[in-house]
Amino acid sequence: MTLGYVLRRIIVSVPTVLLVVLMVFVAIHLVPGTAVDMMLGTQNYLTEDQIRQLYHQYGLDKPLVVQYFAWLKNTLSFNFGVSLRTGKPVLQLILSRLPVTLELAALSMAIALTLGIVLGVVSAVKRNGFIDDIIKVFSLIGISSPAFWIGSIFIVLFSGLFRGFNIFGYVPIDRDLLKNLQSMLLPSLTLGLMICAQIVRVTRASMLDVLRQEYIKTAMAKGVSRTVLIFKHALKNALIPVVTVSGIQLGYLIGGTIVIENLFALPGLGRLLLQAVNERDYPVVQSIVLFVAIMIVALNILIDFVYTLLDPRVELK
Amino acid sequence: MKRLLVAVVLFASVVLLASGKLTIAVDVEPVGLDPHLVTAFASHRILENVYDGLLRFGENLELLPNLAESYEIPDPYTIVFRIRQNVKFHDGRPLTVEDVIFSFKRILDPETKSPAAAFYQDVDSIEAVDERTVKFKLKKPMASAILPNFAGVNSSIISKKFFESGKNLQLETNGTGPFYLAEYVAGNYIVLKKNPYYFVQGQPVLDEIKFVFMPEELSRVAALKNRDVDMAKISEPLNVRQFSADKYNIFKSATLSYYLIGINTTRKPFDDPRVRNALNYAINRDAIVKTVAFGEGVVTGPMHPSIKVWALPPEEFEEYKYNPAKAKELLAQAGYPSGFEFSIVTSARYNFDKVAQVIQAQLAQIGVKVNIELVEWGIFIKRWRESDFDAFISMNSGSMEPDIQFYRHFKTGGSTNVFKFSNPKVDELLELGRSTVDTEKRKQIYNELQRLLVKESPVIFLYCANQFFVADRSVEGFKLLPNESLIFLRETYKK
Amino acid sequence: MKTLRRILKKPLNIVAIVLIFSIVSMAFFPKFFSTHDPLEMDYESILEPPSRKHFFGTDQFGRDMYSRCVHGVQKSVVVAFSSTSIACLFGTALGLISGYYGGLLDLLIMRVCDSFFAFPTLVLALFIVALFGNSLLNLIIAIAIVYTPIFARTIRGSVLSVKENLFVKASKTLGSSDLRIMLFHVLPNVSSILIVTFTTNLSTAFLTEASLGFLGLSVPPPQPTLGGLVAQATAFLATAPWMALFPGAIIALIVLSLNVLGDALRDLLDPKR
Repeated sequence: MTLGYVLRRIIVSVPTVLLVVLMVFVAIHLVPGTAVDMMLGTQNYLTEDQIRQLYHQYGLDKPLVVQYFAWLKNTLSFNFGVSLRTGKPVLQLILSRLPVTLELAALSMAIALTLGIVLGVVSAVKRNGFIDDIIKVFSLIGISSPAFWIGSIFIVLFSGLFRGFNIFGYVPIDRDLLKNLQSMLLPSLTLGLMICAQIVRVTRASMLDVLRQEYIKTAMAKGVSRTVLIFKHALKNALIPVVTVSGIQLGYLIGGTIVIENLFALPGLGRLLLQAVNERDYPVVQSIVLFVAIMIVALNILIDFVYTLLDPRVELK
Repeated sequence: MKRLLVAVVLFASVVLLASGKLTIAVDVEPVGLDPHLVTAFASHRILENVYDGLLRFGENLELLPNLAESYEIPDPYTIVFRIRQNVKFHDGRPLTVEDVIFSFKRILDPETKSPAAAFYQDVDSIEAVDERTVKFKLKKPMASAILPNFAGVNSSIISKKFFESGKNLQLETNGTGPFYLAEYVAGNYIVLKKNPYYFVQGQPVLDEIKFVFMPEELSRVAALKNRDVDMAKISEPLNVRQFSADKYNIFKSATLSYYLIGINTTRKPFDDPRVRNALNYAINRDAIVKTVAFGEGVVTGPMHPSIKVWALPPEEFEEYKYNPAKAKELLAQAGYPSGFEFSIVTSARYNFDKVAQVIQAQLAQIGVKVNIELVEWGIFIKRWRESDFDAFISMNSGSMEPDIQFYRHFKTGGSTNVFKFSNPKVDELLELGRSTVDTEKRKQIYNELQRLLVKESPVIFLYCANQFFVADRSVEGFKLLPNESLIFLRETYKK
Repeated sequence: MKTLRRILKKPLNIVAIVLIFSIVSMAFFPKFFSTHDPLEMDYESILEPPSRKHFFGTDQFGRDMYSRCVHGVQKSVVVAFSSTSIACLFGTALGLISGYYGGLLDLLIMRVCDSFFAFPTLVLALFIVALFGNSLLNLIIAIAIVYTPIFARTIRGSVLSVKENLFVKASKTLGSSDLRIMLFHVLPNVSSILIVTFTTNLSTAFLTEASLGFLGLSVPPPQPTLGGLVAQATAFLATAPWMALFPGAIIALIVLSLNVLGDALRDLLDPKR
């Protein structure tokens, strides 16, 4: 993977990001109900004239194309605008919520990968045995339960169980590490276990595929020890689909798992996006989508890079 | 003498020990902090303890003096307020008559686009009689009808100098209330701290209130059980019942907000008032209260039955007696013997969709087929505004004052008359009601209006739910008001 | 067939087959399996625990949960299966093409997929439902659109690796057409991943339907779907847990059976055995 490749990827990604942002822009403006409608709610206290003034004030009376390029122009000069509903600067809003979502994503992924890969390998190696069946059932429960269900069950189970253990009440990492981890424990466990279930299944299937391949059988015939076989030869190649799935999951996590953030009252990006969409707070929605799109593109480049590490035959052109 | 001393010490220690911090879990976060602009109830719940109006509500929604230490109504066109002296804003500036006048001028200015402007549209002039008196002159003789508005958050008094120094009131607050805004972490919590210069002695009792935003009810219930919070707003009665009365204080009150079916009176077959009226008989309101609110609510007529002064109770209306056979008969008379089909637009919040399902099942029994169009709230608002519905199910905020309850909904062309309802007699009664002064005469007028509203049924009134706050046993002094206000947090304390 | 007999030997497989058969029958003939009208309300029996009259208890309107589950199976199965199949078809095709040809085509396809990944599901669902209405078809389309990139990306990743295999290179040298190579050499070797991805996303489809039901973007009430029933039951988790237990268990059983059969199917298709 060369610098040239990375640069080319970045350049090619720019249209992707712009495409996403454009699609969301169009979608959120075409959906019935505008920011002004949300302000008025069912109170309807303004005259037609005043309403027209508001549209003009927010620049919402211009054609969509004009609005889009105006926003684009501002964004390129790092002016992300101000929330239509609360008047707070958008950049500030996003930057204050980003660490929460990133931390949740990182912790969940860590739990999912460590547990998932280990269980997946064990399951594949001890194929169709008792352990395999148990792991299979566990992973099936993990993938057949919605996030709000697992999260809710955790909450109901843990409430009142341990004195002094706070389920809720997010505290930033720099203020109090212990309290921060405490508030992150259940949410990341919930997400982690769910994703872990997916990772286990993919790892297992992939390992089985790889173990059946010719070069493994050749190595076995040559007398290479089983452990070396599994870890040195099989696992690396088996991990490719695992990496793909992890990447996809991480992408969703970065986008913000709205349900978990709502359930555990975490001030994350997903919750902000939900609020903004509900309130038609256009600048906030667009900027969040932009940020998330950029991060996902970066993530995908990273993932393709990891492919080359795992399977040197893969050449990225 | 010794006894007096002991009493004083005890009182002081109770107050001192009883102060402290209170953490409350609420479901929604404020949207903006400017008292003259915000409509969101979540914002009101915070601002009502940070800002003050000329009047405030007491325990039974009676009007009490606030920043105005007294008021007079010399004639139905005039209200004179005497402004309290020695009141300070949170930034230390003293409250003057200028601030009062400035606040109302700002509300009335069409540039501001304040929701309260509509309430004061019949104000002719506001002037300072002297440095502690303000006189409002009205175009219509509606002094008593307009009075409750002065207790609303949207009519709070702001500091003229603070505003003119260029501050953005959506982001910064400066009020005269018992608490000031100390910290606001968006998406997480708001901290209010005690205003040491508050003009009421002994209030507030608490040093600090922290409002934590938890959108899911399940989370609020768990947070309370786990002692992450001291107090929580609980909407579902079933969840309230999980808390035993010996370990927790359960605060309950009726609310004035009512559930309704709004009908587009210009769409067939609803352009025929007989059809609208007939539906009343086919709706079993008690069943709705039982299944949707688990009994925690009360069937309501056009006004909440507990407002004995004005409300005609449901028993007064024939239409409220569940009688599906009669409904079918009336429909046949109107030309629909085999029923008809229509759609109800609603949204999945505050149990609207659940109410819709019950109504759907009940109307099916008289041959009327209901299609439920469940839409997202933003889409609902748009369709509501444009009257793009056959019928909708939603909730309106109620009032103790009949003019505020009825005028804008049912007057031809009223700002919230999305039913396109136009009835000359109703218009006449509405105008008469707001300009009559004699309470007995007003009662007659509004009685007639209520009967007419049920007969014409542009709206089918359903029920009013109860509201709950559950708190740890140590939390005392709190009272819930039927208008869902939390102003009694200023008297709340922790033992 | 020898392999078929081998599959039938394992008791787990038999249970799965029976379950799937029951579920499919329920999906085709819900009225036959129900004990009550799923829409009928009974104000005297609200939130009752399971009993002989109501196998799964009743909901807050007194409706029989068992019958609602049976009818819900039909809707949920249709939604989940259709959307995942559509996504699988289009996604696998895209993934094959993208991974096999590489280069500019790969870049283009993957970039478009990326943009769908970054597109918040919420806004997409909102958009589709808002503009085209709340219907079964639109729900299926919305979920299919969300899942297509998943298939595309996953298949593409495996294809990248498989295409470097010896026999693929050999086939190319021998002059086989690209289509032939893709269908007969590459596809079978990613079949495990394909089957796993399909069954995984099939179950996620049930859950996506539930989340959308939560937001009011699913099939309009009062028609029950399994996901919708679970979503509604979460509010009563502490007071009436059976409401969530039964539909949730049914979802789990469906997913379990599908995956057991998926594994068996993979064994069947295994070119090595």
